[in-house]
Amino acid sequence: MTLTGENTTIVLDSTADFPEAPERFPNWRVVPLYVLFGDESYRDYVDLSPEEFYGRLRTSAELPTTSQPTPGDFLTTYEELSGYERIYSLHLSAALSGTYQSARTAAMELGDKVRVVDSESASAAIAMLGLAIQRRLDRGTTDDEIDKLVARFKEDAGLIFTVDTLEFLRRGGRIGRASAWAGTLLHVKPILTIEREVIPLKRVRGNQKAMQEFVSAFTSATEDSPTLKVGIAHADAPERAEQLKRMVHAERPHAEVEIVTTLGAVVGTHAGPGTVGFFWFDDRE
Amino acid sequence: MTDRVRVQELAHGALASLEANRQRIDDLNVYPVPDGDTGTNLTMTARSVVDELDRTTTEDRAGLVKEVTRAALMGARGNSGVILSQIIRGAAETLRTNGEVDAHTVAAAFRSASDAAYRAVRQPVEGTMLSVIREMAEEGENAESDGLTKEELLIRLVRRGEEAVARTPEQLEVLREAGVVDAGGAGLLEIVRGLAATAAGEPLPQAPTQREEITIEAFHQDLSPYRYCTTFVIEGDELDSEKIEHELEQLGDSLLVVGDPEALKVHVHTDEPGRALAVGTRAGVIDRVEIANMHEQTVQRERRLLEAVPAAQPSSTGVVAVVAGNGNRRLFESLGTTKIVEGGQTMNPSTAELVDAIEAMSAAEVVLLPNNSNVVLSAEQAAGLSDKLVTVVPTDSLPAGLAAMVAFDSARSAADNAAAMNEVVEGIRTGEVTMASRDVELNGLSVRKGAWLGLANGTAVAGGSDFDDVAAAVAERLLEEPRDVMTLLTGADEPELEDLLRRIQEAHPLLELDVQAGGQPHYPLLLSAE
Repeated sequence: MTLTGENTTIVLDSTADFPEAPERFPNWRVVPLYVLFGDESYRDYVDLSPEEFYGRLRTSAELPTTSQPTPGDFLTTYEELSGYERIYSLHLSAALSGTYQSARTAAMELGDKVRVVDSESASAAIAMLGLAIQRRLDRGTTDDEIDKLVARFKEDAGLIFTVDTLEFLRRGGRIGRASAWAGTLLHVKPILTIEREVIPLKRVRGNQKAMQEFVSAFTSATEDSPTLKVGIAHADAPERAEQLKRMVHAERPHAEVEIVTTLGAVVGTHAGPGTVGFFWFDDRE
Repeated sequence: MTDRVRVQELAHGALASLEANRQRIDDLNVYPVPDGDTGTNLTMTARSVVDELDRTTTEDRAGLVKEVTRAALMGARGNSGVILSQIIRGAAETLRTNGEVDAHTVAAAFRSASDAAYRAVRQPVEGTMLSVIREMAEEGENAESDGLTKEELLIRLVRRGEEAVARTPEQLEVLREAGVVDAGGAGLLEIVRGLAATAAGEPLPQAPTQREEITIEAFHQDLSPYRYCTTFVIEGDELDSEKIEHELEQLGDSLLVVGDPEALKVHVHTDEPGRALAVGTRAGVIDRVEIANMHEQTVQRERRLLEAVPAAQPSSTGVVAVVAGNGNRRLFESLGTTKIVEGGQTMNPSTAELVDAIEAMSAAEVVLLPNNSNVVLSAEQAAGLSDKLVTVVPTDSLPAGLAAMVAFDSARSAADNAAAMNEVVEGIRTGEVTMASRDVELNGLSVRKGAWLGLANGTAVAGGSDFDDVAAAVAERLLEEPRDVMTLLTGADEPELEDLLRRIQEAHPLLELDVQAGGQPHYPLLLSAE
């Protein structure tokens, strides 16, 4: 079967931090996770925008928690897409969230129509995988080709991020091996990545040093090319995102910055304000 | 009694049993993500089924099965809830056709439930809900020939479930390390216990009573040696979050200060909640104060949870550092220093003390940080005398040692660490302010006994009676080339730095200032720029 934008749809969860997806692509949908302040539950990006969330984080005495979508949430979305023949459902690393499990459980209701993908990554990386699939849908593609793309994406896509404090990752149980760095009294910037789970890379002092680490990781892994795609995500830190964008233009002038986004409430709950993530993938054919 | 009423009764019994144990099950939750919500998720999932049954007027079996299955799927919260929804589906499907529900039907329902649960998970892991439902299914099949009633069979399944739950730590390492049984399995057992009691017309067994009230449970997934979890909001004008953070850091750990200049939210684990609140009232108006005593059990749970976090790579390298001052000791320890030897200016440790410290380490390789030029030699001697692989990074000051520690990674070899540390240390400039112990003439600078003396990179650069002027001159010298971060370690006498910090910040608006209470003797202020 030839897959196109007419017969194939892409479903993300809200941790892809790509809320405008359904406006940009008629065949895309986003299923929200939940943010809970005490007993009050909000759908990520639907009932609670990132701006409202960071505002609330400042003033609420209670710190939020999060919850994955129910299988029912996915099933409802999949059923609304009954006009399509194929659904690609792309999700947050299964090691970080049960979202993938919920999607998979719902997909089982619909036979083999839905293909659920564990991105083994987070945030803009998931959206960028979707965009790479969409580029193939636009010219016609096959399941086999998409399988190969997904495998290469997991292997080659780059992700590096830094947080202002590891406390948020620790509190939510997502700190992984970076736990050895928690509780540092000196102000240090941990440089982290995600390979299924959070992996510590290095710690440095100061935002400038952190930026230099981003630059050297990026330039040592990439070549300048129009196929090089870049994503930037930040939690309440637009000036750092802007700085990264300028850096990309200087270092890799032909690359396309295809996503600059704010981290939504769910990812923000676990990473905390001041987090900056940087993503790249060379989508050569 | 109609099928609908009967199934309503059973579902209420299962939910009540689960709810009575919800908190306990939350506390057990370390797998797959230690976020303490398994009991809550299972309860919410079961409640969505009960709510649907309370609403429905459907009387036929097939219709009820369909509604229950859908309600479980739509209401499933969390990973454990999703698996529970599949267990419910599998069980419900065997009850679709009309006829007497006997022991045979119950056994078939558990088999079908187990199969459905395994199908739902991509990579089934033993020591979880899955192994508990599977063992119950096996028990049901084994008991077929014993001629039990369905009530008797359910009681046998509960017994087998108890054994299966107790075995989960043998099957899953993360549970064994944390000293807990699997939360999802424990929840499933309570559901079946509730079903068995309701089916037999007996009251629900008492839930274990040794539960703690955890008022701000969300905070307590981290390890803290402190007693009080303290949270409050500070409201005011132009609140300085960094300054407040710095003051609170001295009081405890698990610190979070988030917000904007008008409102900051503070969370800190401390033994002195009063002092923490005082930091708030000095800066503005405090509101929404919550102080929770983290009981011993909570602290133990936190310890379990932290230990259950996937282990860092086995540490192959440790650090021995020569440090003076309690604050500095804590700074070095928080960055991963394994062993501190007391010492520094005018109290240099002996080579033997350093060798003892090295030999006492469990790591096979050691990085040694002398942190004082007078200690470098004995450090090198100690390195030569030890049987371990010891590398000396010749740090000549405490700030240089701290900068080196930032680059430390216990998973790498001592040689790799030393290379990374040396690179950082080469890029750092250090200075100090001390009191002249006699009249001195240094580099054309004459300083009277008792006056302040400022040194930058080992060279006297300023002297005089005004502490701020001398310290500012040292800072300027360190900042001759652009730098990102300046660290200031205050000495045992804790000098007042407010004016000095303002002067530095005005001259270097982009510079990040990190002020820490070092507590070292002789030097009211140690500085570094990197």
